[in-house]
Amino acid sequence: MGGHRLPACDPQTKKLDNNMSKEFTIRINGRDIPAQEGETVLDVARRSDIYIPALCHLKGLSPVGACRLCLVEVKGVSRLVPSCTTYVHEGLDVITDSEGIQKCRMVILQLLFSERNHTCSVCVSNGHCELQAIAENLGMNYVRYPYRFPALKVDASHEKYAIDHNRCVLCTRCVRVCKEVEGAHTLEIIGRGVHSLVLADLDGLWGESQTCTGCGKCVQVCPTGALFEKGKAVGQMKKRNEFLPYLMSMRSLNR
Amino acid sequence: MPEPAMDPKVDHAFLDNLITQYRHKPGALLAILESAQDHHPRKYLTKETLEYIGKEIGVSRSQIYNVVTFYSFFNLTPQGDHSITICRGTACHARGSKKILDFVKNMLQLQETNSGYADKLCLTTPDNRFTVRTVACFGQCALAPVVSVDERIYGYMTCRKIREIIEKLDREPVEPVPLFI
Repeated sequence: MGGHRLPACDPQTKKLDNNMSKEFTIRINGRDIPAQEGETVLDVARRSDIYIPALCHLKGLSPVGACRLCLVEVKGVSRLVPSCTTYVHEGLDVITDSEGIQKCRMVILQLLFSERNHTCSVCVSNGHCELQAIAENLGMNYVRYPYRFPALKVDASHEKYAIDHNRCVLCTRCVRVCKEVEGAHTLEIIGRGVHSLVLADLDGLWGESQTCTGCGKCVQVCPTGALFEKGKAVGQMKKRNEFLPYLMSMRSLNR
Repeated sequence: MPEPAMDPKVDHAFLDNLITQYRHKPGALLAILESAQDHHPRKYLTKETLEYIGKEIGVSRSQIYNVVTFYSFFNLTPQGDHSITICRGTACHARGSKKILDFVKNMLQLQETNSGYADKLCLTTPDNRFTVRTVACFGQCALAPVVSVDERIYGYMTCRKIREIIEKLDREPVEPVPLFI
């Protein structure tokens, strides 16, 4: 790694009191943009209408850097870094779009598609899917890797919701919202690597979970159609996740 | 919630002692799980044990299951009397460890199933005599192919040698292992 030290990824460093934080300008794609201490590169870019694709990032949840789609170039750092876990500091010079980054994102996106059975035409989230939107935005028109076609189950045991592992991208948004916001920590990644699945409790059926409160936050934050409300037909499952920043700001006021 | 405290399959005195010993120490969960697994005669963690540990140390069940399924040294199924661990690292593979693995599986009549979450193989014979598992590397590549039988490392393994070892172990009298603690 170059001379730059990347600030540690710590959700606790996010300042609640804006008056206290240091302000400076950083460069994104040659543009000078004001930024505050404690913000991530992705935060600043999104605020300035600079498009960076991301699946695992969601405002209000702790950053994990799991999907790797938000990779950016930082001057002085030889490798690409995920913008959602890179905190801004003075003199930061970032490039969010170059041929190399495009190539890298395309590889990651194609690997995501080849890993599970993403069939948009029969998906409840067709048209409202973040994975689909990113593929369209990046102009993905083929997948160069052979599809794995894993035989995965659908757990429809819950009264109101269902999880289809075939459409899951393992972004862990549902896991984090369940743990950090709802506090139930029902869903968790079980297994390792390509065998990972989002399951409830001790590998039980979701419907039989003792800890699930049935709040449905996991369903609303899911970027794809992996988590959906029952009774929705193809293309009907529109996610509403604007509640998160509001919930989090109300909580921080309470503190 | 059903009361797991009354479960006869859980050795509460042992677990309580363990939990007090590790309480407020970082990384307690791993240490507790490791000791609890070692304490069980079949060297595995029952769901009841996991639930009890989670409840006592205040860690959600899903998190415990996440940890247990991540590390391949935690067992969720009963283990056999003897464990045969075959190295499937690059050096051992090049020296024919696949052949040994297939030979052992064939000899013990083990069928590979796709039920496990981990990449790694872990099969137990129906009579609970042997457990066959694979590992990525023992760090004994100079002795490739390497097989560990009951935590003893054997180098330059061949199908004939492993057959002799298994046959010798099979002739040993079977010590009764209690089904539950």
